[in-house]
Amino acid sequence: MPLSLSPSTSPPAASNLEATPKGPDKASPIIHLSAVGKRFGNHQVLADINLSVHHSEVVCLIGPSGSGKSTLLRSMAFLEEYDEGEIHIEGRLLGWEIDDRGRRKHAGRTRLNQARRNLGIVFQQFNLWPHMTALGNVTEALVRVRGIKRNEAEKRAMEVLDKVGLAEKAKEYPARLSGGQQQRVAIARALAMEPKIMLFDEPTSALDPELVGEVLAVMKQLALEGMTMVVVTHEMGFAAQVADTVVFLDQGSIVTRGTPSEVFRDTQHPRLRQFLQNYLDRNAFWHTTTEQEN
Amino acid sequence: MTFDLSIITANADAIWNAFLVTIYTWLAGSVLGLIAGLLIAALMLFGGRPLQRLLRVFIELVRGTPFLVILFLVYYGGPSFGLRLGAITAGVVCIAGYSSVYFAEIFRSGFAAVPRGQLEAGECLGLGRLQLMWRVQLPQMLVLILPSIINMLTILCKETAVLSIITVPELTAVLTGIGTRTFTFIETLLVLCIAYLLLIEITSRAGRWLERRVGTYLQR
Amino acid sequence: MFDWPTFLFSLPLLGKALLITLQTSLLGNAIGFVIGTLIASMQLAKMPLLRRLGGSYIFIFRGVPLLVQLLVIYYLAPMFGLPNLPPMVAAIMALSLCSGAYIAEILRGGLLAIPSGQREAAHLLGMSRPAILLRVELPQAVQSTLPSLVNELVLLIKSSALVSVVGLADLTRVAQNLASSDYLFFQHYLVLAGIYCLINIPLTMFGRRLERHLERSLA
Repeated sequence: MPLSLSPSTSPPAASNLEATPKGPDKASPIIHLSAVGKRFGNHQVLADINLSVHHSEVVCLIGPSGSGKSTLLRSMAFLEEYDEGEIHIEGRLLGWEIDDRGRRKHAGRTRLNQARRNLGIVFQQFNLWPHMTALGNVTEALVRVRGIKRNEAEKRAMEVLDKVGLAEKAKEYPARLSGGQQQRVAIARALAMEPKIMLFDEPTSALDPELVGEVLAVMKQLALEGMTMVVVTHEMGFAAQVADTVVFLDQGSIVTRGTPSEVFRDTQHPRLRQFLQNYLDRNAFWHTTTEQEN
Repeated sequence: MTFDLSIITANADAIWNAFLVTIYTWLAGSVLGLIAGLLIAALMLFGGRPLQRLLRVFIELVRGTPFLVILFLVYYGGPSFGLRLGAITAGVVCIAGYSSVYFAEIFRSGFAAVPRGQLEAGECLGLGRLQLMWRVQLPQMLVLILPSIINMLTILCKETAVLSIITVPELTAVLTGIGTRTFTFIETLLVLCIAYLLLIEITSRAGRWLERRVGTYLQR
Repeated sequence: MFDWPTFLFSLPLLGKALLITLQTSLLGNAIGFVIGTLIASMQLAKMPLLRRLGGSYIFIFRGVPLLVQLLVIYYLAPMFGLPNLPPMVAAIMALSLCSGAYIAEILRGGLLAIPSGQREAAHLLGMSRPAILLRVELPQAVQSTLPSLVNELVLLIKSSALVSVVGLADLTRVAQNLASSDYLFFQHYLVLAGIYCLINIPLTMFGRRLERHLERSLA
């Protein structure tokens, strides 16, 4: 796969970047954000965010820290309450209800859970439950939420753990797993609920560099299988390779968006260029070689 | 001054019964206190603002009042609005009520010690708040708060001695009773001290053993 | 329900009793602090015997209910043919011996937290061991454990209600006497609880503020 972030090396042909096989295959977006905003006191964390994610699309949110990209992603699961605009998931308004007088109030638990049913979320800090084994983590919601019998749930959990390459670690407690393994269990836990959309909140930021690859590989596989994904990441290589759309946020607004090649190569936007330059400066010694692939 | 333990053996039955009363008031009060404390902590987490305030006031008032005074209020003051309890029952009720606020504080700090992210993860998977409390928070925090709970249990064990003042026939009441009747203070008080020291030591040893056992399953 | 004239009549009596309660608690706390310092430094001493002694002291005085300690102190003197201790003396003795054990535990934690380099530095300057303890270590230990020490004072004020059993006319005893003279048990005990709360709740809040302040200054 083409991977060129270094402006000094010869850039790959644009066609290679755009050759990513997947694209939106259904007309209506599965997630739709219109004019979403959020403020903490006087500080506008998110402003006028408009974004659509279609079936099987992979959207990567990039931007400097404090740009609001994590807040945006967490809003998509209503872990953060957005207070302006609307987020629709599969046509359902997320987190809010409009009452008779047109004012909005918090949606009830069941309604929120209905909307969240389509979502799987993976966090930066894994957030595994340390007192349960890997298997226990994956089975818990299957048993308690979906009401599946324990045997059945464990069978299903094992399949998903196998998918992330951890079938033989099923009986281990999280503390005995490496960060990369823990994050893969967390991915399995989300996948077991068969979500239509996977949200990743900086899934590799808490990992030692040598463990990043195994997690990205699992995510790449998911993308290839056609999972709809929204990923907040600092891994520009991953974004360049896997994303259909890259969205660059700064100071709570979407500054620019486009295909990876548009964003990483062709952009003239000064803030984005600065951001990418900073990234390259930090990671200069990796100096990725450009392999060609058809 | 003489030292004659025969006074103890002669009253062995009475002392044994007193010991049982001590154990009963201690454990029954503690278990009820634990349950009430968990309830208070849960209500403070999930209840609305007014309820939280109300419970906060209740906690502060009970914490500010000596156990003996609570005992007087319930046992002697209770009948003035129809609450007539036997001494032992009053003792159990008071230990439960007194300890509930301390246990509530312990549980509250335990709830707070479980990282929020773990709850968010569960919420996103559709787990309800009660399910999360029961399945995620409680098992983890029990490990964290076990030392505080054991400490509270030893404190309560000692508080049962105060029940002697409202005539509960527990160890302190019975042994000092024997002492005053027969003028054998040294023997009776010595046995009394040893009994409490033993109870406290057994409790804290059991606590440390339990801590090691439950601690390992998190670190494995 | 609430008999106001009786309440007003009882106030001066309760006020006098409050002084007794405060006197015993504060004196008990002060002497307990001295005992606590002694026991804590014994526990941290090099000599095994001293450590053993300090440990036993804490084991016994934390393991036996305060009420029983009071009874022992009160009844023991007559056993040896001596007259009963005056209630005030017995009360302060019991409170200070008991709180000494708890304060020792608190101070030990504070002393252990002081980097050993400080002691070595003071030693090199020629300071004696007691001087190091009093002038270098104790002030720091007290500062870092002040919230716990305040908390201990609250516990002691509450425990002081028990001294009524040896006949000292403290708050609880006076309320008891009032109640048994007019049978307004609930009212008198409610007022009694209120007075304790009026002292203890502000003290607790003060302790919490100290704790927050301490956390902030360490962060």
